[in-house]
Amino acid sequence: MAAVHAWRAARVTPLGELHSPPRMTAELLRMTVQVVLVASLWRGLYAASGTTAGLDRDQAVTYAVLATLALRVRNLDQFAGRDTVIQHMHFGTIVYWYLRPLAPQRYYALRALGEQLYGLVWALAGYAVCLAAGVVQPPKSAAVAGVFVLSALLGQWVMYYVMLVIDQLCFWTLRNGAAMLILIFAQNLLSGVYAPLWFFPDWFITMSGFLPFQATLSVPLSLYVGRIPLSDAGAQLLVQAAWVVALALFTRLLWRRAARRVISQGG
Amino acid sequence: MSGSIQVRGLSRTFHTTVRRPGLAGALKSLIKPDRVAKEAVVDVSFDVAPGELLALLGPNGAGKSTTIKMLTGILTPTAGEARVAGVVPYEERERNARNIGAVFGQRTQLWWDLPVRESFAILRDIYEVPNAEHRARLGEFDDLLELSSFWDTRVRHLSLGQRVRCDLAAALLHDPQVVFLDEPTIGMDVVVKEQVREFLRHQVEERGRTVLLTTHDMTEVERLAERVVLINHGRLVLDGTLDEIRRKFGSTWQVRATLADPHARVEPLEGISLLRREGPQVVFGPDGPTAPTVHQALKQVIERYEVTDIAIDEADLEDVMRTAYVQAEAASSAQAEVPSGAPAGGD
Repeated sequence: MAAVHAWRAARVTPLGELHSPPRMTAELLRMTVQVVLVASLWRGLYAASGTTAGLDRDQAVTYAVLATLALRVRNLDQFAGRDTVIQHMHFGTIVYWYLRPLAPQRYYALRALGEQLYGLVWALAGYAVCLAAGVVQPPKSAAVAGVFVLSALLGQWVMYYVMLVIDQLCFWTLRNGAAMLILIFAQNLLSGVYAPLWFFPDWFITMSGFLPFQATLSVPLSLYVGRIPLSDAGAQLLVQAAWVVALALFTRLLWRRAARRVISQGG
Repeated sequence: MSGSIQVRGLSRTFHTTVRRPGLAGALKSLIKPDRVAKEAVVDVSFDVAPGELLALLGPNGAGKSTTIKMLTGILTPTAGEARVAGVVPYEERERNARNIGAVFGQRTQLWWDLPVRESFAILRDIYEVPNAEHRARLGEFDDLLELSSFWDTRVRHLSLGQRVRCDLAAALLHDPQVVFLDEPTIGMDVVVKEQVREFLRHQVEERGRTVLLTTHDMTEVERLAERVVLINHGRLVLDGTLDEIRRKFGSTWQVRATLADPHARVEPLEGISLLRREGPQVVFGPDGPTAPTVHQALKQVIERYEVTDIAIDEADLEDVMRTAYVQAEAASSAQAEVPSGAPAGGD
């Protein structure tokens, strides 16, 4: 029987952060600098033009700043805490994940949940400051806000699975540095962090439609700024949900194979 | 049976790829990998009774850790069966996890960035230990391991000795019946080692836990274990008490006596040979497989001769185990040289 109170394992990453004030200060500094630079960049780009790729200046700045804030949700420094999957594989401490009455996949999910909730607090605090300072625009209506929240939740769910796939690679390769770099670049590019997807050529937008990345950030942020109208929201939410289901099944399969791998290699 | 370990014909074979040397070899390996089977554990059987501490010994690469990994459920055996506290560990891993605790050398299960007490609290939640029980057990462990002086420190800032003590406590917080310790005191100073030994003794004698310990530290074996299982090249070489092992591999004692009459005639005694004589000083040693123990030899010498001084030198366990490893190695080599189809035994 699974442990009832094991959900408290979700506090691992937030606790680690709260016990590292310098890391929190660095996080605050990094977030502030990124928001200021991104807002300045997009304001500068729109200085000489009105509406580009279907977005006006305020929409573009709002999109870019929200994307920067959203990245904080799942971008904590687990490496410093020796708590990445690759480190557990390297040090052989992954065996302890298989020696507890809590399945490794459940522990991983709980830990990620804690991490995402903690990151969400940072993102919400940043959002509140940016909203008060007029850097980002509020949603156009309560309906838009509601759909955005739903879409953002699904987006984070997809993000969780994408990160999980990368971590699961460690069970086969013992290294995931290159995959992680590719993921971060692809994630930022294809989810619209570097620039909203409408600035890219059609073939690129079509290609990215076959990948899960735009379901993580691009869809919820586009709903927020109004680039995707509410009338299209249902279809977009369905696509996001489909990615959640597909990735859930895929990662479940990988967990089973990873367990067999640990069993055969002995950690 | 509660708290017992039963191992029957346990075997584990690993399949690995052999890399050929050189560029051409590397290319060949890439195209047509050469897979070989390596038998890490072969037909190992033994029992550990509830409340017993058994030392699983053997040279590096003997198969000790592989055996422990199968008993903890991390590895599935290729053949044979194991039961730990009545559970087949690799079939019911989560159920087995509640019955066992484990420490793997210097690999810590604590969270690097958190104070030790937070790690303990997370384990308490994962294992569903009631708060009062958790507090009481922490108090007991603190008395024995002096944890409270550093349990509010983050794990990354602990010394090795402090960390291993915390890991031991972490492995026992959920009150497991069976504890697996894979070289737990490696790299620790003598003071901390002694503290850990005292802790383990307490867990076995007072709490009745079953402990399976692997170590290369013979002092640890001598102080803690009554029984030893020796494996080499994955095969069980010996299963017996320390006395039996000493008798089999360690009859290298010497009795040095100073005779009252320096010119007295000295003859070998039953199972005892005269090794050398220097004036009044004579040195006796064991003679053949029927040699008595050092204490019996001492008695015989005193009864037979009038001595003014007598001393004994006994080979320590380190020497005994060295002899055992060398003999086991020689036996393995001899077995490997027997042509296939020929009988392995000599008679």
